[in-house]
Amino acid sequence: MLAIPFTVLGVFILNILLLEIGAGDLSGSGAALGTVTQIGPVVTVLVVAGAGATSMCADLGARTIREELDALRVIGINPIQSLVAPRVLASTLVSLLLSGLVMITGLVGGFAFSVWLQHVSPGAFISGLTLLTGAPELVIAYIKAGLFGFFASLIACFKGITVGGGPAGVGNAVNQTVVFAFMALLVIDVIVTAVGVKATL
Amino acid sequence: MSAVAAARLPRLSRTTKAWLTEWNRIGEQTQFYARTLASIRDAFGAYPAETLRMIAQMGLGVEALAIIGGTVGIVGFLTVSAGSIIGVQGYNSLNNIGVGALTGFFAAYFMGRVICPLIAVVGLSATIGAGATAQLGAMRINEEIDALEVMGIRTVAYLASTRVIAGVLVVIPLYCIALVMSYWAARFTTTAVYGQSTGIYDHYFSTFLAPTDIIWSLFQAILMGLVVMLVHTYYGFNAAGGPAGVGEAVGRAVRASLISAVMVILLATLAIYGQNPNFHLSGG
Repeated sequence: MLAIPFTVLGVFILNILLLEIGAGDLSGSGAALGTVTQIGPVVTVLVVAGAGATSMCADLGARTIREELDALRVIGINPIQSLVAPRVLASTLVSLLLSGLVMITGLVGGFAFSVWLQHVSPGAFISGLTLLTGAPELVIAYIKAGLFGFFASLIACFKGITVGGGPAGVGNAVNQTVVFAFMALLVIDVIVTAVGVKATL
Repeated sequence: MSAVAAARLPRLSRTTKAWLTEWNRIGEQTQFYARTLASIRDAFGAYPAETLRMIAQMGLGVEALAIIGGTVGIVGFLTVSAGSIIGVQGYNSLNNIGVGALTGFFAAYFMGRVICPLIAVVGLSATIGAGATAQLGAMRINEEIDALEVMGIRTVAYLASTRVIAGVLVVIPLYCIALVMSYWAARFTTTAVYGQSTGIYDHYFSTFLAPTDIIWSLFQAILMGLVVMLVHTYYGFNAAGGPAGVGEAVGRAVRASLISAVMVILLATLAIYGQNPNFHLSGG
C-alpha cells in the first residue's frame, strides 16, 4: 500500500528525466535500481517501525506499567528471554519477508505507471530491469531489511521495558521508539549502501 | 428478517458489517477534520496563548526528544542521512556509466522534488505528529478531555486546531533547514568523501537547481504538515483502551498519516510537474 505511491513518485520523476534525454527505454533499469536498492528497504523500515515496533512498544509498555514484568521476574521467568527475544526474532523474519513483497509491489506499480501513463514500451521496461540490478543488489537489500527489523524491534523492546509514568509515559515511549527507529534505520541505510556499493564494484 | 439473514449467511453479514463500520469511520474522520479546520478561527481568537505554547513546544520538542536537539535536530539528522544516501548511491551509480560528474545535477533534481518532501514527512509524523497523538491520547484516557468539555471549553478548537496551526507554522522554517541540510550533506559526501572536485559539483548543481522547484517543494511541505497534524490529532483525540490504547493509537496514526501524506505528495507532484515538467537538459 505504501510502496505504490513511493515508487510511482520516483518512477515519475525519473521518467521525465529519461524521456528528456531520449532514453525512455531505460526506465525499467531506473525503476529496478530505485525500488530494489532504496525504496524497498526504506518502505519496509517505515512499515516495520511505524506499525510493528510501535505496537510492540505499546504492548510491552502497558505490561511494564501494570507490573506484569515484575510479576514474571518474581516467578523466575526472565522477561528478556520470554518476551523480548521472540519479538526480535519475529520482527527480523517479518521484515525480511515484507521487503520481498514491497519490492514486487513497487515494481508492478512502476511498470503500470510507466507503461500505461507515460507510454514506455513494456518490453523495454522488462528487459531493462536487470541491467543495473542483479543478485548482489538483491542480497544487500535483504541484508538491510533484516538489520532494520532487528534494530527496530530492539529499540521498541528497550523503550517498552523501561517505560514509566502512566498512559502518558507509554505514549511518549512509543513516540521515542518511532523517532529513534527511523534515525537508526537511516544510519544503517547509509552505512550498508556505502559498504554494499564498494563490495559489488 | 435481518436476524434470520445473519444466522443463514454469517460470513457475508460479518463482512458487510465490517465494511459499514469502516465506511462510518471514514465519515467520522472527515467530520472531525472539517470541524478542526473550521475551529481554526476560534483557536486564534479565543486561545492565542495556547496556540503560542503549542508552537514553542513543537519547535523544541518535549522530554527525551528535546535532549537530542528537538524536532529541528531530528528532522535535520534524517535529511542529512538522506542527503548522504543520495551522495553514495548517486555518485556510484552514475560513475558506473561514466557520468559521475552529474552527481550535482542528480542532487539538485531529486532532492528538492522527491527526497526532501518524503523524508520531511517521515520526520514530521514521527516527531511532532506522534507527540501530539501521545499527548491527546493520554488526555483522553485520563478523562482530561471530558473535564475540559464539562468546563465549557471548545475542545476541538483548544486541543486540535491549536496543534494544526502550530504544526503548519513550524513546518515552514523546519523544512527550509531540512532542505539546506540535505543539499549540504549530498555535497559533502560527494566532494569530501568520494573526492569529486567541488567545482564540477557546484557547476552542475547550480545549473540545474530551479528556484520554482524549491517554492513548490515548500508548498508541498506546508500541505503535508496540515495532513499529518490532522490525522495525528484525530487518532489522539479518539484513543481508547487504557495505556496500551495510547500506544496503539500512536502506531496507527503514524501509519495512516504516512500513507495519506505520501499520497498527497504524489498527487501534488503530478499536478505540478505532470503537464509541464519544467526541466531542460538537452536544450529543448
